[in-house]
Amino acid sequence: MPTRPATPKTKAAPTAKAGAPAQVVTSNVPPAAPSPASQAAPAPLPPAPEGFLNVFVNGNLIHVKRGSTVMQACTQAGAEVPFFCYHERLSIAGNCRMCLVEVEGMPKPIASCHWPIAEGMKVKTDSPLTTEARKGTMEMLLINHPLDCPICDQGGECTLQDLSVAYGSDRSAYHEFKRAVDDKDIGSKIKTVMTRCIHCTRCIRFATEIAGVEEMGATGRGENMQVGTYVEHALQSELSGNMIDLCPVGALTSRPYAFTARPWELVRTTSIDILDAVGTPITVDNRHGQVMRTQPQENAAINEEWMTDAARFSYDALHTNRLTTPLIRRGGELQPCGWPEAFTSAKTALAQPVGGILGAMASAEDALSFKMFFENTLTSKMYDCRPAGSQLEGFYTFNTPLIEFENVDAVLLVGCNPRLEAPLLNVRLRRAVIRRRVPVAAIGPDMDLTYPHQNLGNAPDALESLAKSKFAEVLKSAQKPAIILSASVLTRPDGPAILATLEKLAKKFGVQKVLQNGEGWNGLNILAATAGRITALDMQAKATPTAAILKSYQTGKTETLIVYGEDTILPEDIEPDTKTRNTKHQTLIYIGTHLTPLAQMADLVLPAAAWTEKSGLYANCEGRVQLAHAAVPAPLNAKEDWKIFRALSEELGTPLPFNTLAQLRSLVANQHPAYQAENWNRITRRTQTPTPNAQNPTPITSKPFQPVITDYYLRLEYLRQSPTMHKCQSEVATAKLGTTATPPTPLLPGKTKSSRKAA
Amino acid sequence: MSTLPRLKPEDKCFPNLCGTADWGIKGYEQRGGYKGLKKLLQTPQTEHIEKLKQSGLRGRGGAGFPTGMKWSFMPQPKLDERGKPIPLAKPSYLVCNADEGEPGTCKDRDILRFDPHTLVEGMIVGCYTLNAKVGYIYVRGEYYDESSHLQQAINEAYKAGYLGKNILGTGVDCDIHVHLGAGAYICGEETALLESLEGKKGQPRLKPPFPAGFGLYGCPTTINNVETIAQVPPILKNPLEWFTRWGRPGNSGTKIFSISGSVHKPCNIEAPMSIPLRELIDEYCGGVIGGWENLQAIIPGGSSTPMLNAETASRVLMDFDALKAEGTGLGTAAVVVMNKQVDVLRVMTRIAAFYHHESCGQCTPCREGVGWVHRLMERLTHGEGTLAEIDQLYALTKKIEGRTICAFADGAMWPTQGTLKHFRHLIEERIKTKQPAA
Repeated sequence: MPTRPATPKTKAAPTAKAGAPAQVVTSNVPPAAPSPASQAAPAPLPPAPEGFLNVFVNGNLIHVKRGSTVMQACTQAGAEVPFFCYHERLSIAGNCRMCLVEVEGMPKPIASCHWPIAEGMKVKTDSPLTTEARKGTMEMLLINHPLDCPICDQGGECTLQDLSVAYGSDRSAYHEFKRAVDDKDIGSKIKTVMTRCIHCTRCIRFATEIAGVEEMGATGRGENMQVGTYVEHALQSELSGNMIDLCPVGALTSRPYAFTARPWELVRTTSIDILDAVGTPITVDNRHGQVMRTQPQENAAINEEWMTDAARFSYDALHTNRLTTPLIRRGGELQPCGWPEAFTSAKTALAQPVGGILGAMASAEDALSFKMFFENTLTSKMYDCRPAGSQLEGFYTFNTPLIEFENVDAVLLVGCNPRLEAPLLNVRLRRAVIRRRVPVAAIGPDMDLTYPHQNLGNAPDALESLAKSKFAEVLKSAQKPAIILSASVLTRPDGPAILATLEKLAKKFGVQKVLQNGEGWNGLNILAATAGRITALDMQAKATPTAAILKSYQTGKTETLIVYGEDTILPEDIEPDTKTRNTKHQTLIYIGTHLTPLAQMADLVLPAAAWTEKSGLYANCEGRVQLAHAAVPAPLNAKEDWKIFRALSEELGTPLPFNTLAQLRSLVANQHPAYQAENWNRITRRTQTPTPNAQNPTPITSKPFQPVITDYYLRLEYLRQSPTMHKCQSEVATAKLGTTATPPTPLLPGKTKSSRKAA
Repeated sequence: MSTLPRLKPEDKCFPNLCGTADWGIKGYEQRGGYKGLKKLLQTPQTEHIEKLKQSGLRGRGGAGFPTGMKWSFMPQPKLDERGKPIPLAKPSYLVCNADEGEPGTCKDRDILRFDPHTLVEGMIVGCYTLNAKVGYIYVRGEYYDESSHLQQAINEAYKAGYLGKNILGTGVDCDIHVHLGAGAYICGEETALLESLEGKKGQPRLKPPFPAGFGLYGCPTTINNVETIAQVPPILKNPLEWFTRWGRPGNSGTKIFSISGSVHKPCNIEAPMSIPLRELIDEYCGGVIGGWENLQAIIPGGSSTPMLNAETASRVLMDFDALKAEGTGLGTAAVVVMNKQVDVLRVMTRIAAFYHHESCGQCTPCREGVGWVHRLMERLTHGEGTLAEIDQLYALTKKIEGRTICAFADGAMWPTQGTLKHFRHLIEERIKTKQPAA
């Protein structure tokens, strides 16, 4: 298992230290020694290369890019500069005063994080003045800090703790009363201990600049300044958990993680967030086989360094309501049994005509073994990996890489709410709107995207009037326009017609074109619900549409139905009339991780491994395949998914042609070139245009688009198993109601019709 | 001792500072106001700036930055081939800082209530010189009546055609808006003032970029004190010597001094720069209560400047350079006189409390340190503490001074440093009296 012990996060590293050693330019220019007036003036410096400036850092001459800050120059030179408030993805606040450095000729030490470099500047990061300035700042930071590291969750990965070792004193000279600050209740995601706050305002800047919710701020003045929401309420952001990572001290910590583990006890495994289609690289931290928390990794091309709240806080679903042993229905009740008994029972049921539906969270290995089980063992074509009604065919990914959204200059959203479907995509869209004033228009229901956008209409027929609208001109004149269509639109009967129209428009308005530099540009994108949906489609795990399979099961043509982790199926989809069910002798086999309402209806339940418990490949919306490592073993008798299908196939007498994960993975690689090891972590193009669908002549209707997601925190069955997610959703409901009373949290994960549609 | 002549009304920039005459437009015009405004608005801006540079006018808000130089940082339109000015890409703004909050200072208040038209005319000329179509006057929230006078003066000026579109037929447009603060001292810091004016929390911005390049709403902005702006029209209207004949080189002109404390006649008075401090107090304020020998200390330029002891006070000249040489500053020229009946330590503790209350809380040393300094001062003043803590206090002020975003912390630490410099023996005495063992 490729794991490594938990170490303090590299991105929260306390000091700006260059990975590479200083690029010291060997030069016979005298170093920055102050020369008395009597001596001859030093020879003028040879000019730096074009676009660069000569800067001395601790006497070493380096060439620094024009427009850099002093801190960047120091980093380039490999000189240590400590800081708290500075963050490269946030605006510069310059308020912690930890990064002060001495610059020759300046009367005071300067804050290196914002000070621009100048030709011939002589920076001293280890001079007595610099060190004394840092020590002074550290003393000020610590006088009102509670120093309660032993009971602080940040302990062990705290910037203040780390830097105080370097610049702090071993005793305090402060004999006055220490300040205490009331803790703020800002929801069930973030725990606050505001006495620890050092007022770096990173959280405020993140909320305002990145998340786009101006809910955090500072009230009060001087030492009475407090960071909070003014009127206490739960933060209404899908990205608020990132404030925990940003907080350099223990003021904002994860509430679900509170007091559960210490960072040095954790074993860290790299993995992928599969709860939306962005494919955020994350780490899964476990202690003694239990997942304790998840954190983002840094990847400029995918997630920058952010992570959605759903992915960060839903890990308690991994040990809530889990299936740990096969269950079999005896006398009308589900009872635990052993795997042999379960397989025997399955063998009988699978001898009948079988249908199978694959869910939203499957890895490539799962999807392929599911598909091969049907194709090779059952020789049945009755399987699908799409939600009921979905008409996704060959085109189901982005043509625009996520990082290209930094250059996109016009965006049209069709039936899509990126804030809830892919919050990290929304971060990029927001930045495009706020920083570059990119026009964004939406066809679909009204929504709060955290940035201004134009609504062109609620129904798909707005596409027809789009051609005459002003926004058509915007798209035409744009260099790199993009259209994002939610995959959920294709569950509408007129979905393919909408897609076909969009493609026509895309060609007409230059969304698909050849750029001036000769490169092709295709801005037509489909945003799938999860990475698993894309992965399963890559594995071609579809033969008969889900709706047809369900109908066949309802009418009795299909005797046995395997539901494998699918969560968009309602119990009433399976059996329209409960009274007739037992007389039909039909069998419902559920393979999955949780005892969901559907599993409770099943006749046979086979426990599978959750996403942290299996090694799998997942493709994200841009077609980038990434490997998620297994962090912990599956609980008790639960088995990795591919092993279940392999064992079932053996039971049925036609074993699948793989015995190990490695063998399966080579089959996966054969299925799609993107899954070959050399293509991992890079964008591999999928089909770039929709397949013409002549069989479906349903024309575009004026039926309005429904909101894709109404309950962000409960949009997947996996999330509905998490108590934290239920709390978060109830906070959203509270905020919408405008009351301050907390509504009762449902003890049992419930389902609503709308939440199913979302997935 | 040579005694400088008292200024005649025609020598003054603020002839109605004492408020004896009409402060309205009629009175102002009788005193010669708005006369020659049209000519000023037809003179090339660069000539104005050049004259201001030559006049040696230095900012009256405390820092003493040469005004002509400050104004020359603002972008001036370039001329095209036919000699016509090319309009600037961004609008420029002139902002008047009337957020007078420095303890001891009350000069702007008298300008606003007794001679508001001097400021209005200064704003018109200033806006023209800096190519600003809009000027803002940020008035301290507590100056409610004063801001009413100012607003009335602006209304009168609009009515008389001195403000608005096409002023006096010159083609110059200028609008002035008055904005009332909400009671934060820090909003008198120029970038905090801009933040506050923009509707944000009044906290100073990082510099660079400086307001002349990136100021109000991200546009080039000049921020000047009330007195500075109001002195511009008389300087430009009169010959250069009218202003430069007063004061030493580099400190020329007249200046309003606000004298308060242990004097017989506390007052606001316009007097020549470089006037000896002793002369200022003896001639204009009726002398120190109990005589000059009864003098204990003087704060020369508002609470932020370190105090002078009696010996220095009797020989120092009141200008930027002379006071700087004594380790203090002219500041806003708010002279606070303390005779021997005053408990200097209590005064300085109160000043420390003021800064403790007014720190904006943005950056670490000031947020955490100013309160610490106040508490230490409080204890030491009462003789509670140790002798070692006096040194600790001094070291502490040095850890705060010069480490912050704005100059607030410097101004907050200097009075304490001045106290320790001149009255350390008092603190030691009190500790020893209270704790004989110490």
